[in-house]
Amino acid sequence: MAGTRDGVTREQVLAALADVIDPELHKSIVELDMVKDVAVTDGVVRVDALLTIGACPLRETIVDSIRAKIGGIRGVTGVTVNLGVMSAEQRQTLVGRLRGDGTPQRPSSFLGPESATRVIAVASGKGGVGKSTVTVNLAAALARAGSQVGVLDADVYGFSIPRMLGVHGRPTMIDQMLIPLEVAGIRVISIGFLLPSEEEAVIWRGPLLHKTLTTFINEVHWGPDLDYLLIDLPPGTGDVSITIAQTLPQSHMLLVTTPQLAASQVARRAARMAEKVNMEVVGIIENMAYFLPAVGAEPVYVFGRGGGAVLARELEVPLLGEIPLDQSVREGGDEGRPVVISHPDSAAAAAFRKAAERLRDVVPMQARHA
Amino acid sequence: MKRMPTPVEMGSITDRAFTIIWSDGHRSQYTWRNLRAGCPCARCKGEWNYRPVSLRAEEFPADLRAVRLDRVGAYALRFTWMDGHDTGIYPFPLLRHELCECGDAAHARSTE
Repeated sequence: MAGTRDGVTREQVLAALADVIDPELHKSIVELDMVKDVAVTDGVVRVDALLTIGACPLRETIVDSIRAKIGGIRGVTGVTVNLGVMSAEQRQTLVGRLRGDGTPQRPSSFLGPESATRVIAVASGKGGVGKSTVTVNLAAALARAGSQVGVLDADVYGFSIPRMLGVHGRPTMIDQMLIPLEVAGIRVISIGFLLPSEEEAVIWRGPLLHKTLTTFINEVHWGPDLDYLLIDLPPGTGDVSITIAQTLPQSHMLLVTTPQLAASQVARRAARMAEKVNMEVVGIIENMAYFLPAVGAEPVYVFGRGGGAVLARELEVPLLGEIPLDQSVREGGDEGRPVVISHPDSAAAAAFRKAAERLRDVVPMQARHA
Repeated sequence: MKRMPTPVEMGSITDRAFTIIWSDGHRSQYTWRNLRAGCPCARCKGEWNYRPVSLRAEEFPADLRAVRLDRVGAYALRFTWMDGHDTGIYPFPLLRHELCECGDAAHARSTE
């Protein structure tokens, strides 16, 4: 297994494999100990790798990636990839490594005060103001701007994130750890992924709700490189919001409201809750702020004007954005492609990008200690 | 938005009296019995149509201690007492302004 006359060495191969990233776990397969053996014979490289589970949906992706990386080494004439499956023990070691990012005791990468992940809970008070729409579009805008973003759908009863992001399927589970699904560079977890079908209704009492959320926080491998975790809260100030406040002490709150008093006054109550649980309100987003009947036309203030600005002034927090009412926003949500992605040139997409930019200013990404 | 005072330093549950040094610089002292009597949970303080008799510190043994102390989110502490009672979540403002036994806590609040 030493170097051959072609000069291809085991070390070269391992170095190349270090660049092969597991598409679900977001870490190098070498670092994850998934490479079992490497052999080089006359320029032909054989790689024995272990998958976490036999039915790994992304096995082809991994094989292709291994072939591409090794094929790039000078002198390599062929690549054979043999895939095996990890034993229960090997998986356990892997989970320990994922959980603590080295130290098995640390439960989740962003629970500790030293975590670099910024947690932003998107709240409203009143329902129907577009929390989920704002959440997915901010997430898409942040991801496009180069941040690693996760979305935790905490609206367990009224989950809508799977539809809005067009992400469906079942997350891979590795020994009690859920691997979030990924779409447009956004890692997503929702109760919708775990139900037998998305038509299913969740009819639960508080304690089960609490358990689900703590699972989403503690037992999901969000990844140590996550910059922002956006939490789509249900309306109101109930069980879910309390669980988030108790479990994630470092989380911030972003308030979404529509311009009318009926919404902004209820949003104020969510702010009041934030104050009681010592959560910082980092800004307001006014959704459905106005309607543009035609390009260049005067805006029509369907729901009144300035509710978001008044609330922001009152709470002494910045108004991060005023999102226009736009058909493309609704269509994007229904089609599973947020307007930021589907109609990047629209006024609404521009407003979301601007809001995301301001959000990044108020809650800047944190430097990571290597 | 105004933020509540938070503990920057806390004593241990093995101390004779519990102490908290707050982000506003104040130093609070508590006797364990008073802390227990000040438990804000529904069982001790009541709710809606359940109005129990107020707890008094003297009802508890002089050597009463908490056996465990946890932070709850960014806003409260939870004590687990020797008898297993642990349902009280003590928000920081309650500890800072109501239960502090230094004598001038009420004054500190009125000048805020």
